Amino acid sequence: MAGKDFAERSIRGALTFFREAIFADETAGLPGVLQSLDPRVKIVMVLLGLLLVLFTRSLAVLGVLYLLSVLLAAVSRIKLGSFLKRTWIFIPLFSLLIAIPAMFSFVSPGESILSAGAFHITRQGVMSAGFFVGRVLASVSLVVLLSMTTRHFDLLKALRCFGIPHLFVMVLGMCYRYLYLFVEMVENTHRAIKSRVGSRIHYRKGQRVVAWNIAHLWMRSYAMNEQVYHAMVSRGFRGEPVALDRFRTRPRDWCWLLAAVAVMLLLGYVEHRTRA
Amino acid sequence: MKPLGITGGPLFECRDVHYAYQGRIPALRGIDMTLSRGERIAFLGANGSGKSTLLSLLDGLIFPDMGTILYAGRVLTEAAFLDEAFTLEFRKNVGLVFQNPDVQLFCPTVREDIAFGPLQLGMDETTVKTRLEALVETFGISPLLDRSPHQLSVGEKRKVAFATVLAIDPHVLLLDEPTAGLDPLTSTHLIEMLATAAGTGKTIVTATHDLHILEDIADKVYVFGQDRRMAACGTPAEILADTALLQANNLIHRHSHHARDHRLMRTPQV
Repeated sequence: MAGKDFAERSIRGALTFFREAIFADETAGLPGVLQSLDPRVKIVMVLLGLLLVLFTRSLAVLGVLYLLSVLLAAVSRIKLGSFLKRTWIFIPLFSLLIAIPAMFSFVSPGESILSAGAFHITRQGVMSAGFFVGRVLASVSLVVLLSMTTRHFDLLKALRCFGIPHLFVMVLGMCYRYLYLFVEMVENTHRAIKSRVGSRIHYRKGQRVVAWNIAHLWMRSYAMNEQVYHAMVSRGFRGEPVALDRFRTRPRDWCWLLAAVAVMLLLGYVEHRTRA
Repeated sequence: MKPLGITGGPLFECRDVHYAYQGRIPALRGIDMTLSRGERIAFLGANGSGKSTLLSLLDGLIFPDMGTILYAGRVLTEAAFLDEAFTLEFRKNVGLVFQNPDVQLFCPTVREDIAFGPLQLGMDETTVKTRLEALVETFGISPLLDRSPHQLSVGEKRKVAFATVLAIDPHVLLLDEPTAGLDPLTSTHLIEMLATAAGTGKTIVTATHDLHILEDIADKVYVFGQDRRMAACGTPAEILADTALLQANNLIHRHSHHARDHRLMRTPQV
């Protein structure tokens, strides 16, 4: 039973993940502020933010960057609950688990601010844990903001301007497109098996069914691979793909980029002055 | 360079064509036929009779084990497709709509898929965009443009797959089971589009086992037998009237009223 539940849970988990990815594509289609910007400009803005997250030594700067990302999510018509769930619940939780031991004196020796028997929480430890969590939170927020306001394929296409070969981008795009098809196939096959053998199945037989399912999927994907290649050749593909260039950098994109640079410089300057 | 296939002679010639998958599973045996420019042809046959294989052969995606296929007088071989100029002209002139639209729609968005063919064939972006807009208008697919193919219904996928080939504006359209799995309304819409394409002088070759659409899509029908040979050739009316032929080639059952109903529908009632 556990085996069956495991297979079913895994399939459901994969489907939920893909549905959430579709949802991200839906938020990317909303008429928000960030959605209207050139994806290349957004990538540069996020990269600048990530650089500042990486090099800053101020918790206040990390806090400002995080608040900025929340503000941008709000003006981009992204539901705050959904945005906070993606940033807070999953990834920082794991980083928190890593950061907690860093607060104790056996990892970060220093000035003790709280003691419980042999365990001492140090000021230096709290600061380094705070920086770690703050950095993860700010960078994850920026990246999630980018992925929720940009269609996945536009994001891939925008990578081309950073020198990533077009063929590589195209293959990634095709992988992304066919993953959905194969997930659907797995779901349908699982349903077909369930309709024939019922929900009770011995785990040994279950293992055989899963193995057969994997092999069958591989065979189908292999056969489809050849057909897709034929479909590409039939429409003139000769090894070097050419794609439609839809990106247009307008004055407002430049304004946003300049504003992002100005904010980053200002934050850097304020941090420098505070430390001096 | 004069476009290939716009000459006076036959467009395609198949001479004793044999093909077997992996060299041992026969798909076609001794096929002889001639297709002329502007013709509307149907390949009629039951599942597994070799129709799709012949379309792939005519599109230069696979090559005969025995026999020859000529396009505008030139033999279609792998070596012929090493000639860049020939390949470019051939791909501009011959377009294949695959049976499975999921195979044909490999780009992440509908827009990219429609633009793919013309861009690969060296068309400039302005022309591609003009064609894209025209096709979007014709097919009424404007809301689908930025969607991923996996988010489309079967009917929408078929429409888009058809649009991806029409974007190239080929002289020859090869269609593999274009109405399979479609509801009657979408099917009728697609047939109307084929009629429009035929009206512009295109050569249209359709592989099908749907007897209902035969007279709407073809002037000449080649019937494929279960032995992977050509069983008969004639006008749609002649083929549909030959119940014995249809039965022998698994196109109707002896208890089926398919062909009879079809004839009755077209006979004026007194």
